[in-house]
Amino acid sequence: MSLTAERLDRIQPSLTIAISTVARRMIAEGKNVISLSQGEPDFDTPQHIKDAAIRALQNGETKYTDVSGTRALRQAVAEKFRRDTGIDYTPEEIIVSTGAKQVLFNAMVATLNAGDEVIIPSPCWVSYPDIVTLADGKPVLVPCGQNAGFKLRPEDLEAAITPNTRWFMMNNPSNPTGAAYSAEELKAITDVLLRHPHVWVLTDDIYDSLVYGGFKPGTIVAVEPRLKDRTLTVHGVSKAYAMTGWRIGFAGGPVALIKAMDKLQSQSTSNPNSIAQAAAIEALTGPQDSVEAMRKVFEERRNLVVKMLNEAPGMTCGNPDGAFYVYPSVAGCIGKTSKGGVLIKDDEAFALTLLAEEGVATVHGAAFCFPGYIRISYANATEELREACTRIQRFCRELH
Amino acid sequence: MPGFSQRLSRVELAASVQMTIKARELKAAGKPVITLTTGEPNFDSPPRAIEAAHQAALLGDTKYPPQDGTRALKQAIQRKFRRDSNLDYALDEITVSNGGKQCIFNAVMATVDPGDEVVIPVPSWIAYTQMVQLCEGVPVLVSSPQNNGFKPRPEDIDAAITPRTRWLILNNPNNPTGACCSAGELAAIAAVMRRHPHVWIMSDDMYEHLVFDGFKATTFAEVAPDLKDRTLTITGVSKTYAMTGWRIGFAGGPKPLIKAMTVMQGQATAGVSTVGQAAAAAALDGPQDGVEVQIAAYKRRRDLAVEMLNASKGISCHKPEGAFYVFPNVAGCLGKITTGGRRLDTDEDVCLALLEEQYVATVHGAAYHMSPFLRISTATADDELLEGLKRIQVFCEGLRSI
Repeated sequence: MSLTAERLDRIQPSLTIAISTVARRMIAEGKNVISLSQGEPDFDTPQHIKDAAIRALQNGETKYTDVSGTRALRQAVAEKFRRDTGIDYTPEEIIVSTGAKQVLFNAMVATLNAGDEVIIPSPCWVSYPDIVTLADGKPVLVPCGQNAGFKLRPEDLEAAITPNTRWFMMNNPSNPTGAAYSAEELKAITDVLLRHPHVWVLTDDIYDSLVYGGFKPGTIVAVEPRLKDRTLTVHGVSKAYAMTGWRIGFAGGPVALIKAMDKLQSQSTSNPNSIAQAAAIEALTGPQDSVEAMRKVFEERRNLVVKMLNEAPGMTCGNPDGAFYVYPSVAGCIGKTSKGGVLIKDDEAFALTLLAEEGVATVHGAAFCFPGYIRISYANATEELREACTRIQRFCRELH
Repeated sequence: MPGFSQRLSRVELAASVQMTIKARELKAAGKPVITLTTGEPNFDSPPRAIEAAHQAALLGDTKYPPQDGTRALKQAIQRKFRRDSNLDYALDEITVSNGGKQCIFNAVMATVDPGDEVVIPVPSWIAYTQMVQLCEGVPVLVSSPQNNGFKPRPEDIDAAITPRTRWLILNNPNNPTGACCSAGELAAIAAVMRRHPHVWIMSDDMYEHLVFDGFKATTFAEVAPDLKDRTLTITGVSKTYAMTGWRIGFAGGPKPLIKAMTVMQGQATAGVSTVGQAAAAAALDGPQDGVEVQIAAYKRRRDLAVEMLNASKGISCHKPEGAFYVFPNVAGCLGKITTGGRRLDTDEDVCLALLEEQYVATVHGAAYHMSPFLRISTATADDELLEGLKRIQVFCEGLRSI
């Protein structure tokens, strides 16, 4: 009998381990390493949100809450959805979980039977296919190329849907590409989905407050209210309010689905941390100026990084509308040799050699099911980003 | 609407939650409800835990934590296992989860394939069977009868084990009965387990510190160090430190199992709330005198409950070693009619009639796989518990034969 259950063996080993291991070793050796690999804002949680947590501590909010979150938080989430997207959810149509990741996990485990298919546009966050696989489902990746701005074409979605399709799952704006869909672009997608009433729709909008150049992202239910009774709108406080460590995510959706997810959560973790829930209420209902302040800084950084990467020979980088990632192609570098004599045979070799020779940590595209690229997170101080991009330029210039 | 998974239909909402919701509805309708259903202490979290969380937030400890817990908390857990149970775990033999519940969930999800069997002595917390069923495993229930102090007999465990058995789950002290096996009783179970090297042992010790009359709760790996490499020791801060809402549980076990559980958690929730972890470390490391105060209160209430329940017509109540529950037998109430005219055929009937006629909320034994019993939580203020018990006596007094 093997140690682990078969379902666990289906999860692929982390592709980023090689890089993070080398990065850690270099840092321990005193090397100057700049990490552009993190998936979290470099800002601290705003003070007024911390203050709300501290008040909750002092008020003894240390007991079990409803499994799906306190009513006060679910009301705040409902208000947030109404304010930001115009979608009306009642508190019964909302669940709060330990991070948006648990929302996805709950949704998949609550709905997937063995062999059910889940359509995921790629590049994608690797947890999407992993969670689907863990829940006995089958990820169906639909590649979205750089020339389409890493966005799904409606005809490709149509072609991917089969009678076994259980979910269509999208991330808007996207990790790892930063690509974001406007309401008009989503309309073409929702038109396809309307024709397939057996498919659940999940939209993970966790980055939607981080958009640039006046871009306005759409969201499925706002664009097509007729999909509301089979759409799960996922969000959280991690990215917008720099609250990753608090672990609070949430979703709005039809009562039957929310109830099913609640049931599952009641048997796996119960309620999310009660103090963090109080902090999340303040984040959602308190002053929102910190969000705009962080957004502005991210926008300056995006502009800097895109400009500098496009000046690196062999790289091409689009100018994405959201999130805090860019996803440049390194196709022009493949097959060349680095200054240190390493053959850049693929994106992983590029990332590893860049780290070894210039001390810049990135994540290679294979980790997002879409090789030939690297993901660069610009959640770093501006000066640090400038230095990192200078090193990348030098690295690329010296390839031969 | 698109559909749901078959596995979900095997899971139900916990009966204690259902009863709590019913009680809340009656309360909202203005009824004077006494709630004896809750599984959480009625005390506040220790000030040092609150202060530590406060500091963590202020100092910017608000980023993604490592998925298996912060180093500081894992070190505190290491000291705790050594101090309380004489158990040495390396840091990579420890993992932190969102409540003890998630430790169990991770372990079961990471190891149980469809058709695998898990031996569970009952009465037991309902979550064990539910999680096994969620993984398409088969719960194999072993009765821990009242005449054995609600403890499992080693020979019954032995008989339940087959080549498909993956786990034996022990819960000491036990929810819902409060029963706690002594070191000697655990040693007898260990002797059985030595003959079955293919079986993991899970020791859920969430209530370990809540024991009375000088009883000392020991954990399985402490009694059987030679079985430590296939034992998972689970506990947390919820019950000992009145920190239920913080959602911090943890486990010590062999490295490959801990690693598999962390992989599982990485896909389900990732790491655990950072402020909660800081608070838990402070609770584990600080002075432990707050625990003594709570133990004294729970003992006082247990004694009161056992005495008053045994004075209720038709009820007999065993006196448990620990936890904050008693599990009275209501066989003598069955086949009777209440003053409200309800006929009592099952413990669920008793439970519902008690709520609707006397506004006392309890949970029926069937929800814990053993009838006809009630679970009564003593994590209730003394005066409220007293009033609840008085009403149970009135309820029993009013029962008449058909």
